[in-house]
Amino acid sequence: MKQGELLGSLEHILLLALVRLDGSAHGMIVRREIEERTGRNISIGAIYATLERLEAKGYVSSSTGDPTPERGGRAKRMFRVEAAGNRALQISEQTLHSMTADLKGSWETI
Amino acid sequence: MSRYSPPAFACRLFQTVLPVSYRGALLGDLIEEYNLHAEATSPSAARRWFWGQACRSIPFIIGSSLRNGDWLISVSTAVGVYAVMGTLKLAADFMIAKLFAPEPTAFVVLAPIVFLAFTSIGGCAAARIRFGTAVFLALFVMITVAVQIIAKACTIPVPWWYEFGFLTLGPLSVLLTPAAFGVLKPNSNESAT
Repeated sequence: MKQGELLGSLEHILLLALVRLDGSAHGMIVRREIEERTGRNISIGAIYATLERLEAKGYVSSSTGDPTPERGGRAKRMFRVEAAGNRALQISEQTLHSMTADLKGSWETI
Repeated sequence: MSRYSPPAFACRLFQTVLPVSYRGALLGDLIEEYNLHAEATSPSAARRWFWGQACRSIPFIIGSSLRNGDWLISVSTAVGVYAVMGTLKLAADFMIAKLFAPEPTAFVVLAPIVFLAFTSIGGCAAARIRFGTAVFLALFVMITVAVQIIAKACTIPVPWWYEFGFLTLGPLSVLLTPAAFGVLKPNSNESAT
Protein backbone atom coordinates (compact mmCIF):
# COMPACT_ATOMS: atom_id res chain seq x y z
CA MET A 1 0.00 0.00 0.00
CA LYS A 2 1.28 3.47 -0.90
CA GLN A 3 2.09 5.84 1.95
CA GLY A 4 1.76 9.62 1.99
CA GLU A 5 -0.87 12.26 2.46
CA LEU A 6 -3.76 12.21 0.03
CA LEU A 7 -4.61 15.42 -1.75
CA GLY A 8 -7.94 17.14 -1.19
CA SER A 9 -10.16 17.42 -4.27
CA LEU A 10 -9.40 21.10 -4.92
CA GLU A 11 -5.70 20.57 -4.18
CA HIS A 12 -5.70 17.72 -6.67
CA ILE A 13 -7.46 19.77 -9.36
CA LEU A 14 -5.17 22.78 -8.78
CA LEU A 15 -2.00 20.72 -9.07
CA LEU A 16 -3.32 19.09 -12.25
CA ALA A 17 -4.16 22.53 -13.68
CA LEU A 18 -0.63 23.75 -12.93
CA VAL A 19 0.84 20.66 -14.61
CA ARG A 20 -1.37 21.30 -17.65
CA LEU A 21 -0.11 24.90 -17.73
CA ASP A 22 3.49 23.71 -18.17
CA GLY A 23 4.02 23.52 -14.41
CA SER A 24 3.80 27.25 -13.75
CA ALA A 25 1.04 29.89 -13.81
CA HIS A 26 -0.59 32.64 -11.79
CA GLY A 27 -3.90 32.39 -9.94
CA MET A 28 -6.15 33.85 -12.62
CA ILE A 29 -4.87 31.51 -15.35
CA VAL A 30 -5.27 28.52 -13.03
CA ARG A 31 -8.84 29.60 -12.20
CA ARG A 32 -9.75 29.97 -15.88
CA GLU A 33 -8.11 26.66 -16.81
CA ILE A 34 -10.22 24.85 -14.19
CA GLU A 35 -13.39 26.67 -15.27
CA GLU A 36 -12.81 25.86 -18.95
CA ARG A 37 -12.06 22.18 -18.32
CA THR A 38 -14.56 21.37 -15.56
CA GLY A 39 -17.21 24.08 -15.80
CA ARG A 40 -16.70 24.80 -12.10
CA ASN A 41 -16.65 28.52 -11.32
CA ILE A 42 -14.23 28.48 -8.39
CA SER A 43 -13.64 31.76 -6.57
CA ILE A 44 -10.20 33.33 -6.76
CA GLY A 45 -10.11 33.34 -2.94
CA ALA A 46 -10.49 29.53 -2.89
CA ILE A 47 -7.70 29.24 -5.49
CA TYR A 48 -5.27 31.37 -3.46
CA ALA A 49 -6.18 29.80 -0.11
CA THR A 50 -5.52 26.35 -1.61
CA LEU A 51 -2.30 27.44 -3.35
CA GLU A 52 -1.03 28.86 -0.03
CA ARG A 53 -1.80 25.53 1.63
CA LEU A 54 0.01 23.64 -1.14
CA GLU A 55 2.97 25.98 -0.78
CA ALA A 56 3.07 25.37 2.99
CA LYS A 57 3.21 21.63 2.26
CA GLY A 58 6.07 22.16 -0.19
CA TYR A 59 4.06 20.96 -3.20
CA VAL A 60 4.30 24.29 -5.02
CA SER A 61 6.59 27.30 -4.81
CA SER A 62 5.86 30.89 -5.81
CA SER A 63 7.73 33.90 -7.10
CA THR A 64 6.63 37.49 -7.64
CA GLY A 65 6.85 39.15 -11.05
CA ASP A 66 6.88 42.81 -12.01
CA PRO A 67 3.77 45.02 -11.59
CA THR A 68 1.82 45.53 -14.83
CA PRO A 69 -0.66 48.31 -15.78
CA GLU A 70 -3.45 45.90 -16.81
CA ARG A 71 -3.40 44.53 -13.26
CA GLY A 72 -3.81 47.97 -11.70
CA GLY A 73 -0.07 48.14 -11.01
CA ARG A 74 -0.03 44.89 -9.06
CA ALA A 75 2.51 42.12 -9.54
CA LYS A 76 1.73 38.54 -10.58
CA ARG A 77 2.52 35.72 -8.21
CA MET A 78 3.65 32.76 -10.28
CA PHE A 79 3.13 29.29 -8.81
CA ARG A 80 5.26 26.32 -9.83
CA VAL A 81 4.78 22.61 -9.11
CA GLU A 82 7.66 21.15 -7.10
CA ALA A 83 8.94 17.57 -7.04
CA ALA A 84 6.97 16.88 -3.83
CA GLY A 85 3.83 18.08 -5.62
CA ASN A 86 4.46 15.70 -8.50
CA ARG A 87 4.93 12.83 -6.04
CA ALA A 88 1.71 13.76 -4.22
CA LEU A 89 -0.12 13.76 -7.57
CA GLN A 90 1.24 10.31 -8.43
CA ILE A 91 0.20 8.89 -5.05
CA SER A 92 -3.29 10.36 -5.31
CA GLU A 93 -3.71 9.15 -8.88
CA GLN A 94 -2.55 5.62 -7.96
CA THR A 95 -4.84 5.56 -4.92
CA LEU A 96 -7.82 6.67 -6.97
CA HIS A 97 -6.96 4.16 -9.68
CA SER A 98 -6.71 1.35 -7.11
CA MET A 99 -10.05 2.26 -5.60
CA THR A 100 -11.91 2.63 -8.90
CA ALA A 101 -10.41 -0.39 -10.66
CA ASP A 102 -13.13 -2.85 -11.78
CA LEU A 103 -15.82 -0.50 -10.47
CA LYS A 104 -16.63 1.22 -13.76
CA GLY A 105 -20.33 1.91 -13.80
CA SER A 106 -20.99 0.02 -10.57
CA TRP A 107 -22.32 3.05 -8.69
CA GLU A 108 -24.80 3.76 -11.46
CA THR A 109 -26.74 0.65 -10.51
CA ILE A 110 -26.85 1.52 -6.76
CA MET B 1 -3.58 51.71 -16.72
CA SER B 2 -6.52 49.27 -16.70
CA ARG B 3 -9.01 49.97 -19.47
CA TYR B 4 -11.97 49.46 -17.16
CA SER B 5 -12.15 50.40 -13.49
CA PRO B 6 -13.30 47.64 -11.14
CA PRO B 7 -15.79 48.55 -8.38
CA ALA B 8 -13.68 50.61 -5.98
CA PHE B 9 -15.79 49.78 -2.94
CA ALA B 10 -15.61 46.04 -3.63
CA CYS B 11 -11.81 46.36 -3.92
CA ARG B 12 -11.57 48.18 -0.59
CA LEU B 13 -13.96 45.79 1.15
CA PHE B 14 -11.95 42.86 -0.16
CA GLN B 15 -8.69 44.44 1.00
CA THR B 16 -9.91 44.60 4.60
CA VAL B 17 -9.96 40.78 4.83
CA LEU B 18 -7.12 39.78 2.50
CA PRO B 19 -3.87 38.63 4.11
CA VAL B 20 -0.88 40.76 3.14
CA SER B 21 0.97 37.72 1.75
CA TYR B 22 -1.20 37.53 -1.37
CA ARG B 23 -3.35 40.65 -1.27
CA GLY B 24 -1.66 42.40 -4.21
CA ALA B 25 -1.41 39.25 -6.37
CA LEU B 26 -5.04 38.24 -5.79
CA LEU B 27 -6.42 41.73 -6.44
CA GLY B 28 -4.22 41.99 -9.54
CA ASP B 29 -5.63 38.68 -10.82
CA LEU B 30 -9.18 39.85 -10.14
CA ILE B 31 -8.60 43.16 -11.96
CA GLU B 32 -6.94 41.41 -14.90
CA GLU B 33 -9.85 38.99 -15.27
CA TYR B 34 -12.37 41.78 -14.67
CA ASN B 35 -10.95 43.59 -17.72
CA LEU B 36 -11.25 40.42 -19.82
CA HIS B 37 -14.87 40.03 -18.68
CA ALA B 38 -15.64 43.70 -19.39
CA GLU B 39 -14.28 43.35 -22.93
CA ALA B 40 -16.06 40.04 -23.57
CA THR B 41 -19.42 41.04 -22.06
CA SER B 42 -20.13 44.50 -20.64
CA PRO B 43 -18.76 46.61 -17.79
CA SER B 44 -21.94 46.09 -15.74
CA ALA B 45 -21.78 42.29 -16.17
CA ALA B 46 -18.10 42.40 -15.28
CA ARG B 47 -18.90 44.42 -12.13
CA ARG B 48 -21.44 41.79 -11.09
CA TRP B 49 -18.84 39.09 -11.71
CA PHE B 50 -16.29 41.05 -9.65
CA TRP B 51 -18.69 41.44 -6.71
CA GLY B 52 -19.59 37.75 -6.93
CA GLN B 53 -15.92 36.73 -6.86
CA ALA B 54 -15.17 39.05 -3.92
CA CYS B 55 -18.13 37.84 -1.84
CA ARG B 56 -17.55 34.14 -2.59
CA SER B 57 -13.83 34.44 -1.81
CA ILE B 58 -14.18 35.91 1.70
CA PRO B 59 -15.14 32.64 3.53
CA PHE B 60 -12.13 30.83 2.00
CA ILE B 61 -9.77 33.67 2.94
CA ILE B 62 -11.02 33.78 6.53
CA GLY B 63 -10.81 29.97 6.73
CA SER B 64 -7.26 30.03 5.39
CA SER B 65 -6.30 32.73 7.88
CA LEU B 66 -7.71 30.63 10.74
CA ARG B 67 -5.77 27.56 9.62
CA ASN B 68 -2.51 29.51 9.29
CA GLY B 69 -2.65 30.68 12.89
CA ASP B 70 -2.70 34.36 11.80
CA TRP B 71 -5.96 34.64 13.67
CA LEU B 72 -4.23 34.62 17.07
CA ILE B 73 -2.43 37.90 16.33
CA SER B 74 -5.56 39.33 14.71
CA VAL B 75 -7.73 38.32 17.69
CA SER B 76 -5.22 39.85 20.13
CA THR B 77 -5.17 43.09 18.15
CA ALA B 78 -8.97 43.10 17.95
CA VAL B 79 -9.19 42.59 21.74
CA GLY B 80 -6.91 45.60 22.25
CA VAL B 81 -8.93 47.83 19.91
CA TYR B 82 -12.18 46.54 21.46
CA ALA B 83 -10.95 47.34 24.99
CA VAL B 84 -9.89 50.89 24.09
CA MET B 85 -13.02 51.68 22.06
CA GLY B 86 -15.26 49.99 24.63
CA THR B 87 -13.81 52.08 27.47
CA LEU B 88 -14.24 55.30 25.50
CA LYS B 89 -17.78 54.30 24.53
CA LEU B 90 -18.68 53.58 28.17
CA ALA B 91 -17.38 57.03 29.12
CA ALA B 92 -19.43 58.61 26.32
CA ASP B 93 -22.56 56.67 27.36
CA PHE B 94 -22.05 57.80 30.96
CA MET B 95 -21.78 61.45 29.89
CA ILE B 96 -24.87 61.21 27.68
CA ALA B 97 -26.83 59.54 30.48
CA LYS B 98 -25.77 62.32 32.86
CA LEU B 99 -26.62 65.09 30.42
CA PHE B 100 -29.93 63.66 29.23
CA ALA B 101 -31.00 61.77 32.35
CA PRO B 102 -34.38 63.48 32.62
CA GLU B 103 -35.13 62.85 28.93
CA PRO B 104 -34.84 59.15 27.92
CA THR B 105 -35.98 59.89 24.36
CA ALA B 106 -32.83 61.93 23.75
CA PHE B 107 -30.75 59.01 25.00
CA VAL B 108 -32.57 56.61 22.66
CA VAL B 109 -31.81 58.93 19.73
CA LEU B 110 -28.19 59.63 20.68
CA ALA B 111 -27.18 56.09 21.69
CA PRO B 112 -27.14 54.60 18.13
CA ILE B 113 -25.27 57.64 16.78
CA VAL B 114 -22.54 57.30 19.42
CA PHE B 115 -22.50 53.51 18.98
CA LEU B 116 -22.05 53.71 15.20
CA ALA B 117 -19.41 56.44 15.55
CA PHE B 118 -17.37 54.23 17.88
CA THR B 119 -17.79 51.06 15.82
CA SER B 120 -16.77 52.98 12.68
CA ILE B 121 -13.69 54.47 14.34
CA GLY B 122 -12.84 51.09 15.88
CA GLY B 123 -13.18 49.41 12.46
CA CYS B 124 -10.87 51.98 10.87
CA ALA B 125 -8.31 51.59 13.66
CA ALA B 126 -8.42 47.78 13.43
CA ALA B 127 -8.06 47.76 9.64
CA ARG B 128 -5.22 50.26 9.85
CA ILE B 129 -3.29 48.22 12.43
CA ARG B 130 -3.60 44.75 10.90
CA PHE B 131 -5.49 42.95 8.13
CA GLY B 132 -8.26 40.66 9.32
CA THR B 133 -8.55 42.40 12.69
CA ALA B 134 -11.74 44.20 11.64
CA VAL B 135 -13.46 40.84 11.06
CA PHE B 136 -12.82 39.75 14.66
CA LEU B 137 -13.74 43.19 16.00
CA ALA B 138 -17.07 42.96 14.14
CA LEU B 139 -17.61 39.54 15.73
CA PHE B 140 -16.88 40.93 19.23
CA VAL B 141 -19.32 43.82 18.65
CA MET B 142 -22.02 41.39 17.50
CA ILE B 143 -21.52 39.14 20.55
CA THR B 144 -21.55 42.11 22.94
CA VAL B 145 -24.79 43.49 21.49
CA ALA B 146 -26.39 40.03 21.47
CA VAL B 147 -25.47 39.50 25.14
CA GLN B 148 -26.89 42.94 26.03
CA ILE B 149 -30.14 42.16 24.19
CA ILE B 150 -30.49 38.75 25.87
CA ALA B 151 -29.65 40.24 29.30
CA LYS B 152 -32.12 43.10 28.62
CA ALA B 153 -29.46 45.67 29.51
CA CYS B 154 -31.54 48.50 28.01
CA THR B 155 -34.07 49.56 30.66
CA ILE B 156 -35.84 52.01 28.34
CA PRO B 157 -38.67 50.32 26.35
CA VAL B 158 -37.65 50.23 22.67
CA PRO B 159 -39.09 48.39 19.62
CA TRP B 160 -37.41 45.16 18.45
CA TRP B 161 -35.98 46.79 15.29
CA TYR B 162 -34.08 49.30 17.42
CA GLU B 163 -32.03 46.56 19.08
CA PHE B 164 -31.83 44.61 15.81
CA GLY B 165 -30.30 47.73 14.25
CA PHE B 166 -27.47 47.65 16.81
CA LEU B 167 -26.95 43.95 16.17
CA THR B 168 -26.61 44.31 12.39
CA LEU B 169 -25.37 47.85 11.76
CA GLY B 170 -22.67 47.71 14.44
CA PRO B 171 -20.66 44.83 12.90
CA LEU B 172 -21.37 46.16 9.40
CA SER B 173 -20.00 49.61 10.26
CA VAL B 174 -16.83 47.96 11.64
CA LEU B 175 -16.30 46.19 8.31
CA LEU B 176 -17.63 48.72 5.81
CA THR B 177 -16.33 52.04 7.13
CA PRO B 178 -12.63 51.24 6.58
CA ALA B 179 -13.57 49.93 3.12
CA ALA B 180 -15.59 53.05 2.30
CA PHE B 181 -12.82 55.42 3.34
CA GLY B 182 -9.94 53.28 2.11
CA VAL B 183 -8.34 53.13 5.56
CA LEU B 184 -5.97 50.20 5.29
CA LYS B 185 -2.51 49.21 6.43
CA PRO B 186 -0.15 50.21 3.59
CA ASN B 187 1.61 47.41 1.70
CA SER B 188 4.97 48.17 0.12
CA ASN B 189 4.51 45.46 -2.55
CA GLU B 190 1.42 47.05 -3.98
CA SER B 191 0.46 50.31 -5.61
CA ALA B 192 -3.00 51.81 -5.82
CA THR B 193 -5.54 50.83 -8.46
